[in-house]
Amino acid sequence: MGLAGDATDGEVVRAVLGGEVERYAVLVHRYRDRYARYAARMLGSLDAGEDAVQDALVRAFDRLADCREPDKFAGWLFLILRNRCYAERRRQQREGRPLDERDDGVAAADRPDGTYEQTERMRALERSLGHLTPEQREVFVLKHVEGLAYDEIAGRTGATVASLKMRMHRAYDRLRDLMKEHL
Amino acid sequence: MSLGYHPLVKQLLDGELSLAELPPELRAEGAEALRLIGTVDRRPVVLSAALDDRVMAVVRQHAASRTRRAWHWLTAPRDVELRLRLRPVVWAGALAIAAGVALLLLGRVPASAPVPASVAGSGARDSVFVRFVLYAPGARQVAVAGTFNQWDLNAAPLARAGSSGVWTTTLALPVGQHQYAFVVDGERWVADPAAPAIDDGFGRRNSMVAVTLRGARTL
Amino acid sequence: MKSFLALAFVLSTTLRLMAQDVGARLDGRVPLEVQRAVQDIAADAAAHGLPTEPLVQKAIEGGAKRVPAERLIAAVRALAGRLAGAWDAVRAGGLESPTADVVEGGADGLSAGLSAGYVSELVRASRAPYDPALVLRVAATLAALGVSPKQAVQLVEGMIKDGKSPSDLLSLPGEVQAGVADGATPAEAAERVNHGGGNGVGNAGGNHGPPPPDWVPPGQGKGHKPANPHKP
Repeated sequence: MGLAGDATDGEVVRAVLGGEVERYAVLVHRYRDRYARYAARMLGSLDAGEDAVQDALVRAFDRLADCREPDKFAGWLFLILRNRCYAERRRQQREGRPLDERDDGVAAADRPDGTYEQTERMRALERSLGHLTPEQREVFVLKHVEGLAYDEIAGRTGATVASLKMRMHRAYDRLRDLMKEHL
Repeated sequence: MSLGYHPLVKQLLDGELSLAELPPELRAEGAEALRLIGTVDRRPVVLSAALDDRVMAVVRQHAASRTRRAWHWLTAPRDVELRLRLRPVVWAGALAIAAGVALLLLGRVPASAPVPASVAGSGARDSVFVRFVLYAPGARQVAVAGTFNQWDLNAAPLARAGSSGVWTTTLALPVGQHQYAFVVDGERWVADPAAPAIDDGFGRRNSMVAVTLRGARTL
Repeated sequence: MKSFLALAFVLSTTLRLMAQDVGARLDGRVPLEVQRAVQDIAADAAAHGLPTEPLVQKAIEGGAKRVPAERLIAAVRALAGRLAGAWDAVRAGGLESPTADVVEGGADGLSAGLSAGYVSELVRASRAPYDPALVLRVAATLAALGVSPKQAVQLVEGMIKDGKSPSDLLSLPGEVQAGVADGATPAEAAERVNHGGGNGVGNAGGNHGPPPPDWVPPGQGKGHKPANPHKP
């Protein structure tokens, strides 16, 4: 048995499914920050992102017996987080809260290298992202924040590259419109 | 409603074209679009340090309550049968700090549950039935080994309880303090997640159970 | 001189028989070198009046877990050390010739993280009808649950001072565990139990019904009726 740092995801998942609850901490540690940015951007705030990641990690534990490919835990966790983000967004919409009403925005004012205008533009872009549909926002975040290629995004989300491009291009248009005053 | 970006500019944004490759009349629009996208905040996000602990605290809770639910299910009407066949299983008569689960359940048994007045024991007067439960849906076989059976891997196999991923067995243990662990698939030693754990001296942990007689006593 | 020789003879015979017994029990379960080493360690322990059963158990355990010989021997030796430490601590707590049970209880306590000082203190607090072995084991189990040694000792001593029954003492780990299962930290769960709140196990306030008829709270002695905490 190697060190916790050496065990593959598959080994750890199998151990947890064999009754070793405590070993799940290895996976928590490994993935806690990997999808943090995605969650924070999808939900418009750090706190909401953190809640989502926490809930996703717990839910992944609860449903671990359903993880068909233990070696692909990362992708499976991502899908759980993704569903959680979408569910949260739907809840926010039902409660009538568009994302830009959150006042604890991710884009902080103290960007060290920026001017005031740049900071303002960054904030404006964050707010504008909040006005996109969840699908548009997701493809935008995955491509332009997380830096994934379209086929990688397709692999993760199950959408086709064609539909992703369509959403993205609509997003570009929306953003141009929303960001009129800042350009 | 303003015009959207030109399709070639969108390809620029997608990274499929460079600015130089755009027709000259589109370059200004292209530059504007790039500036827009360039504004996005790409800083990595680090969540709070306490997240790991919070997640594990909830995970442990879920694991324990899952075992408890399995216990409830296992000790539902079926168990009366078990008790009648094997002699009265102790509810009130013995204190099993086994896995904490036993005790949790003993404490939460509703008042209407039957309470045998005497302690069971097949032959040995001071023997008590203790149930072991492990949630291990990925296991192919599970056994319990401990000081009560000389750590023999084969002496006390657990059986699957339905298809829920729960394994269980009931053993008659002599009164006293015991250490034990589950053995999964013949080689993986797993401490009972719901029991107090003690260092086994070999780099792993054993679980503890203290079995005693309380005499005739209601809960 | 004769009696000394006789004693030495008896002692060495006893030790030899014991060594044979240990060997027989380990035969086939551990490699020969481990068998020999454990026989030596056990003989040494016996010569000092320490219980040997835990050592044999630990060796059997290590054999079943396929622990490498060196590690196994080291663990048995370490356990022998804890038994010796426990013996000292228990004697320091006022028990002149402790039983094997109490020494083992003390060793469990040390294994779980209690200091020798706490072991002595718990023994001192365990006047009849409290069995020191039981008291030590409860404290050790609490420590194994994650309660700090200090809090574990406080909790146990508090119950003794309050005249709670040994059975109530035994339910302490379960109560703390119930609290932890509900999401409290071990320290928080222990605090709740300390203040009589309980964690939902049994009746509120730790009232578990009338104590068994043969148990008398300290200070009441023979001829008194046991106090009945069961209020109408």
